[in-house]
Amino acid sequence: MAAVAAAPSRKTETYTDTKRRDDVRGANISSARSVADAVRTSLGPRGMDKMISSGDGDVIITNDGATILSRMSLLQPAARMLAELSRSQDAAAGDGTTTVVVLAGSLLRRAQSLLAAGAHPTAAADSLHRLAARAVEVLHGMAIPIELSDRDSLVKSASTALNSKVVSQYSSLLAPLAVDAALSVVDPAHPDLLDLRDIRIIKKLGGTVDDTELVRGLIFDKKASHAAGGPSRIENAKIAVIQFQVSPPKTDIEQSVIVSDYAQMDRILREERNYILGMVKKIKASGCNVLLIQKSILRDAVTDLSLHYLAKAKILVVKDVERDEIEFITKTLNCLPIANIEHFREDKLGYADVVEEVSVGDGKIVKIIGIKDMGRTATVLVRGSNQLVIDEADRSLHDALCVIRCLVNKRFLIAGGGAPEIEMSMQLAAWAKELHGMESYCIKEFADALEVIPYTLAENAGLNPIAIVTELRNRHAKGEKNTGINVRKGQITNILEENVVQPLLVSTSAISLACECVRMILKIDDIVTVR
Amino acid sequence: MIFTLRKKIQSLMSILDISKVQDDEVGDGTTSVVVLAGELLREAEKLVNMKIHPMTIIAGYRMAAECARNALLQRTMDNKGNTDKFRSDLMNIAMTTLSSKILSQDKEYFAELAVDAVLRLKGSTNLESIQILKKPGGSLKDSFLDEGFILDKKIGLGQPKRIENANILVANTAMDTDKVKIYGARVRVDSMTKVADIEAAEKQKMREKVQKIIAHGINCFVNRQLIYNFPEELFADAGILAVEHADFEGIERLALVTGGDIASTFDNPESVKLGHCKLIEEIMIGEDRLIHFSGVAMGQACTIVLRGASEHVLDEAERSLHDALCVLSQTVNDTRVLFGGGWPEMVMAKEVDQLARKTPGKKSHAIDAFSRALQAIPTIIADNAGLDSAELISQLRAEHHKENSTAGIDVITGNVGDMQKRGICEAFKVKQAIILSATEAAEMILRVDEIITCAPRRREDRM
Repeated sequence: MAAVAAAPSRKTETYTDTKRRDDVRGANISSARSVADAVRTSLGPRGMDKMISSGDGDVIITNDGATILSRMSLLQPAARMLAELSRSQDAAAGDGTTTVVVLAGSLLRRAQSLLAAGAHPTAAADSLHRLAARAVEVLHGMAIPIELSDRDSLVKSASTALNSKVVSQYSSLLAPLAVDAALSVVDPAHPDLLDLRDIRIIKKLGGTVDDTELVRGLIFDKKASHAAGGPSRIENAKIAVIQFQVSPPKTDIEQSVIVSDYAQMDRILREERNYILGMVKKIKASGCNVLLIQKSILRDAVTDLSLHYLAKAKILVVKDVERDEIEFITKTLNCLPIANIEHFREDKLGYADVVEEVSVGDGKIVKIIGIKDMGRTATVLVRGSNQLVIDEADRSLHDALCVIRCLVNKRFLIAGGGAPEIEMSMQLAAWAKELHGMESYCIKEFADALEVIPYTLAENAGLNPIAIVTELRNRHAKGEKNTGINVRKGQITNILEENVVQPLLVSTSAISLACECVRMILKIDDIVTVR
Repeated sequence: MIFTLRKKIQSLMSILDISKVQDDEVGDGTTSVVVLAGELLREAEKLVNMKIHPMTIIAGYRMAAECARNALLQRTMDNKGNTDKFRSDLMNIAMTTLSSKILSQDKEYFAELAVDAVLRLKGSTNLESIQILKKPGGSLKDSFLDEGFILDKKIGLGQPKRIENANILVANTAMDTDKVKIYGARVRVDSMTKVADIEAAEKQKMREKVQKIIAHGINCFVNRQLIYNFPEELFADAGILAVEHADFEGIERLALVTGGDIASTFDNPESVKLGHCKLIEEIMIGEDRLIHFSGVAMGQACTIVLRGASEHVLDEAERSLHDALCVLSQTVNDTRVLFGGGWPEMVMAKEVDQLARKTPGKKSHAIDAFSRALQAIPTIIADNAGLDSAELISQLRAEHHKENSTAGIDVITGNVGDMQKRGICEAFKVKQAIILSATEAAEMILRVDEIITCAPRRREDRM
């Protein structure tokens, strides 16, 4: 008699089957929630920062949700999904990375209670989808349109983004800086687009964050080459970006020079000198007086001899420029890179008023300003008293720039301070009453979940969260859409008048992404490990 | 997903195989086929416990499968003649395929996309010419179908950003240095000038290579490998658009789509076929710049650009879209369709039931079991939707007792509904493949009564 060896008897296993499903789902939700709880205390202007120390002794202090989550090594797959969520929010909007994770955690908590009450996961997931769509409509209803020419509003949103970070005291300096940098990069042919790769941030230890400045030109975090006493300041500069090497010839194939007597040695030295002199003469003949040399993998870009000749020809040399920086540099200088000495022509040079090497902190940088026909780029020099502060300032500046990018993409603002979340919660709960069945129940629960944001903001500020949230609900029910929590005064005020605003895109993408992530977690009912 | 499980149980392999075959042949129904095979085996176990010989069971299953298939054949619909009706059939099939996936919320939009893409293929089942490009950012609704080919690379510095009436040379050659491929080859000279000469000669060689390439009469050059600075500049000076690092797949597709050959040497310009297209330009999607080739020689080519919030979403969207495209392309070939939502299973179950009643002998128990297994599929669909499966199946059975019923499970309302009105369709080929593959797999496992494990291969002693 054939024993059906493979097909396992599933009859008695139906109970264990669902149990495993529930177990897996419960485990996923719990681990995701614990991740959300970990970053909860970083939310808002009174949020705390986290210090992350890695195995090799590296220490980072940050308030940015995406950074915290990406540095945490998470093993549970659902927890990793939350880290991905934060990253997606970072990519989409730049700010609100902590908000999105806290929202997801709160939605998951409600989902857990819904499942325990007997709702089917698919039903809960579908209602979440409807909720997200409707929430975005509510947010649009609260939105205020702005123009890019309204610099003040832009500065206000950038300030709000910076308020929750370590560098919040410097927001009066950094916010206008970010706005100016961003506006100078926007291409009128593509007014809806802001490519953040056109803004370069250079970090230099020393000074304080107050010394951060926006440079309308180019900065290299390197010294000008002084090995042979070259000039450190050039006016009326003609700049060439070269991708070839000013050094003795070296073939691609391996070669060796065989010398059999002293006279030959002399001759070799002389030939080498003449070769390089020839190159330098050609460079000088085109009128070039500043040379930016790309780092080469094939051989030395410059040798002492070539530096000597270049210095004698009064050419300022900056070497070791990375290959991927070349595009940025040529765009800024409005010139083309030169790959071979034969192609060295005047029309490939860029022009600038001043190129000089300045002492900054305990290092030096090369500054190029007054570039003729400068391309649409900007450079920001960030200073700070220690490396941790500089890194966090860099991340905060990036967030502020992303906020402005959001505004360029979608020109609407909404009030901050928890106002949008309470408004959404209220309107969605009212809408839920008009629906039927399980859907209505699910949507009501999820709508209540949105209140976690003002709750957390108040909590982190040391206020009484329940009193604050109920007061907020009351005011919104009376129709005051723009009331929010003012953490500095510790009360509820019209947050719009207090200039706490954020781009519409940050809130809409936060709610959409959080809902999508929670939907995906809810629909998972088994984990398969592949070895 | 099923393919990546560790194959612990030997017989599991045949189940994995049928899922793979289903995917290769038809593209959709991979879960259904495994579920049906499982159900058939579950019923078979019960029969074996009743002391019925497996061969009898197999014979019964075979008869039942044949009967089921005929039942379906009689009831297929074919709208080949009417393009409008056919298109709406395709839309319905696409929507049905997508409704079990992540794209279910935007299924009309994506169904439209998939149908447009497949109709461009004009009957070929070669899905190679449809490229799916994933770009994070935006939302799923921002995805679009583009009637050309998009290459996810940037144009070199200083080169024209737009070319009309392009002749394209697709190549796979190293454009950085020309090394002699003999290990330890070196040149011995006795003076620096000679070294300079050799260097100049190398540069000249590269210049000549570029000249030869240009002599093909092209205005666009796409290389799989790196194009270093010097040749890049030479191309820019000659006004030729050069693209480097296009990966293997990109090269293959580009060659296929523009009708060109992939060249590795450039000595014989006449023997190399160039690709053609009407317009090449640089476009922006989100914040990335890509190269768009439109008006390509191979008119069937198109690109679907998927946008979405995160990598997870994009990957799953790509898989779902691939499923839909496979099914649609199969349907364009074999245009017979059926209603969905459990309707075919109930129809087959009814016919098989009647066959069981007519057949004498123990085989009829097996045929009966087949019918029960078939009914398990709509049961599971109802269960997964959170509906009361027992109630729904009994209602469905009662409906099907009437002649020419079009009843199936409507998961949106949670009741028995009219599949014709709802427009829930499936391709006949998919269903046929499911029935036949599942039956075969179940048969094969039933025939096994002993598992012989061979000793592991003894390793020879290495001296």
